[in-house]
Amino acid sequence: MEQDAQLIQQCLRGDGSAWERLVSQHARRIYNLCYRFTGNSAEAEDLSQEVFLKIYRTLDSYRAGQGAFTTWMTSVARNLLIDHYRKRRYDRITDSLEDAMPVVESKESSARPPDRHAMLGELSRQVQVALQRISPDLREAVILRDLQGLDYREIQKVLQTPEGTVKSRINRGRIELAKALSEMGVRAG
Amino acid sequence: MRWTCEQVEAKLGEYVDGLLAPPERAELEAHARVCARCAPMLSSVAGLVRSLHDIEPLEAPPLLVTHILDRTLGPRRARWSWGGNFGWFGWLLQPKLAYGAACVAVALAVVLPAMGFSWRAPRLGDLNPLNLYRTADRRTHLLYARGSKFVSDLRVVYEIQTRLRPETAIPAEPESAPPERFKPREPGSSGTPGPGPARQQNRVNQVPPSPVVIAVVLPGAGERSLP
Repeated sequence: MEQDAQLIQQCLRGDGSAWERLVSQHARRIYNLCYRFTGNSAEAEDLSQEVFLKIYRTLDSYRAGQGAFTTWMTSVARNLLIDHYRKRRYDRITDSLEDAMPVVESKESSARPPDRHAMLGELSRQVQVALQRISPDLREAVILRDLQGLDYREIQKVLQTPEGTVKSRINRGRIELAKALSEMGVRAG
Repeated sequence: MRWTCEQVEAKLGEYVDGLLAPPERAELEAHARVCARCAPMLSSVAGLVRSLHDIEPLEAPPLLVTHILDRTLGPRRARWSWGGNFGWFGWLLQPKLAYGAACVAVALAVVLPAMGFSWRAPRLGDLNPLNLYRTADRRTHLLYARGSKFVSDLRVVYEIQTRLRPETAIPAEPESAPPERFKPREPGSSGTPGPGPARQQNRVNQVPPSPVVIAVVLPGAGERSLP
């Protein structure tokens, strides 16, 4: 966190290498957030670039006293993701989710248990499919809590919603996601 | 107080995250033990959260950072760096490659001097394939000649030792028996003499050991030399 603060100060003084390090440190995190939200790698890459472009332009508005840089950055990304979602909402509603979904192997079809790494990779893809089935509010809450690892207070700051709402969304999101995975024949855990 | 299914569902997230106080936790677990609806839900959500925490973040596309920097800082020239320019040296550090290189170096260290190349005063002309071939050919013949000379010297020494050896060491043939070479030849036989050593021994026996002969032979052996 202190390192981020130092890098930000250097960036504000016009140090390009500090900005490069800042981008390198957080690009993966932002890309994952975008990918989990959109479910599309090309869109996620474009959105990640937009997020960093916005961060670069508004870096001077960040105040270290208001919270961690990661939280602020996630908040910027989340706002962009919401905007992106709203622009494409009608397309998403009219599109059939089933058409866009990859074939998911059901638990009954697996003859022998794969190794853990492959299993987690497969689970990651199945979770990605299931995430697209739940509402954006619940999806972002679950992504921030369980895939990005933010705590409740940070999520509250990012979503700018009361604590009770955050807890409720995370809770509902997990239940909906578990149901979606169960319908897909995936047994998590 | 017994919790309802709605209460359990509302507190499920906090329970999984370990944020419930012990009394609430006990109430939730007590309900889940007897509720056919909440027990599988609790199990599936807890399993889901464990799995989500196990999922590793995806790798970002390799050019993402470059594209971001291009859009924010503008197109930049590729900077010189050790990692970028000499990163391919990494494959040289493989053990099998290093072992092979060491073997080649040892082989060159042995073969090149044999082909006329001097490590102390290296000359480019020494590495000329024609010169290398000529030197190798000359040295091979030299080696062969030295070997031949060595064998010849050994024969001389052996002959001297044979002459100096007392006759008692050699079993003499009985005089009654006729010499092998005077035996009547069988019809159809080649008539070749017997084994070499025996015949040589017989010939040596006919010459009495004399210090004069030795004195004549030894200087002659010593004078042999190769051009």
